[in-house]
Amino acid sequence: MRAQRVRAIARRQSYVLRRAPQRWFDVIVWPVVDAILFGAIGVYFGRQHGVASATAAFLLAGIVLFHVVFQAEISLATGFLEETWSRNLLNLMVTPLTELEYGAGVVLFGLGRLAIGVSVVSVVAFALFAFNITNLGLGLVPLVVILLVVGWSVALVVIGLILRVGQGAEILTWGFIAFLLPMSGIFYPVSALPAGLQPLAQALPTTHAFAAARALVQGHPLPWGEVGLAAAGAVVVALLSVWFLTRMLATFRRRGFISRHT
Amino acid sequence: MPEPAAALRARGLVKQFKRVRAVDGIDLTVGAGERVALLGPNGAGKTTTLMMLLGVITPDEGTVELVGRALPGQRSEAMESVGFAAGYLPLPERLRVREFLELFADLYGLADGREAVARGLTRFRIESLADVMGNELSSGQRTLVGIVKATLHRPQLLVLDEPTASLDPDVAHRVRGGLERSCAEDGTALLVTSHNMQEVERLCARVVFLARGRVVADGAPDAVAARFGRDDLEGVFLHLAEGGVDPISDARAVS
Repeated sequence: MRAQRVRAIARRQSYVLRRAPQRWFDVIVWPVVDAILFGAIGVYFGRQHGVASATAAFLLAGIVLFHVVFQAEISLATGFLEETWSRNLLNLMVTPLTELEYGAGVVLFGLGRLAIGVSVVSVVAFALFAFNITNLGLGLVPLVVILLVVGWSVALVVIGLILRVGQGAEILTWGFIAFLLPMSGIFYPVSALPAGLQPLAQALPTTHAFAAARALVQGHPLPWGEVGLAAAGAVVVALLSVWFLTRMLATFRRRGFISRHT
Repeated sequence: MPEPAAALRARGLVKQFKRVRAVDGIDLTVGAGERVALLGPNGAGKTTTLMMLLGVITPDEGTVELVGRALPGQRSEAMESVGFAAGYLPLPERLRVREFLELFADLYGLADGREAVARGLTRFRIESLADVMGNELSSGQRTLVGIVKATLHRPQLLVLDEPTASLDPDVAHRVRGGLERSCAEDGTALLVTSHNMQEVERLCARVVFLARGRVVADGAPDAVAARFGRDDLEGVFLHLAEGGVDPISDARAVS
């Protein structure tokens, strides 16, 4: 892997973000909207039971950590989509750039974008609702890593589907994440879901990561059992997503789908 | 005895898309510094062949070796010495020409990317476009920038798909001139597809005609025209476009 090529891809992505104001919507506007929405809901329902700040903290911790998954997934998937939107795929495919270098470049840029997005939601939560995510301590670190891996894995699946079926699959960039939001028990334990959905929710690594985060919000020590389940699930999801993307890329090359993007 | 060094060597390329056999057993060699045109009517298999030669499409059968490196395993190393441009490829939006070219200089691993970009812009006389946004260029300017991109790293092999399609004569002339200088100065081999037979005769010493996914003629332009009993390449092209080829009976046309 050549660092020069990885940096070049990250730089190309940064030009796009700088010059496409609509891309800031995901990075700035959504985090602000989510922090205000869920913070206000938490305050309102909390007041009904005299525990406004606790309820708001519960929801805000969930939405801050959800933005780790969201920003990781969106930055990688839309980074690739940018190449299809601007019909730049063929240009890249006829250079020495490898798939791994391309992915590393987009992820490198995505980490910067993720830092902005998660900072925005965290700062708004702190400024408007006095919720400080860092109070949850170092236990957050493994959870953030797990959520990053899941976010990137979802993006790899989305990219694989775009390669396979074309740009029509781009809606899944946002669709898969919208599915994860309710199914991962971000704001509630899995037991609150309808019984039929609970086994599916339990199978998601994000569910266990958010369960561990809730324990931290409640002042409990980090439940390592949940963290272990989440980590194991994240590894499985990552391996499956890489396998899926590799298969889709092989199909893309074998069936000549580049013609859809030129 | 080992075959001499070649910029490109493909053997037995086959590609089937569902019921269409787009490429049907193509052998093609481009020697170092040689200029070859890949010609044929629409649907003859030119672009599919080019995409297989560049590792973008996986052949069903056959082997490809670029600058001595076998695909797909050594694709990345091979592409350090290969350039590609196509008249139909747009420039990515939201990049200035200079940024676009510097990006590709980095992808080609050039240590002196800025210098290479300046040299390329000068060679094709488009220095004034350096700070223009990609989406503000005319199609001719876009083509010129695309060729500068493809030649930044002084490739051993330059592959061009319809480089002057839809260009006005002045820009097409400038493209040809720049290409000739580039090939002469850097010793670059050229593989080009085009529907402009005059351009082909000026740029290339050898033409390879495809029809129905097969090579039906391979040789110097005059010799190929003579073998088909035509005055020039235009005549051969029209003959093939009208379906006037039976690759088996016309196999004698392959030198």
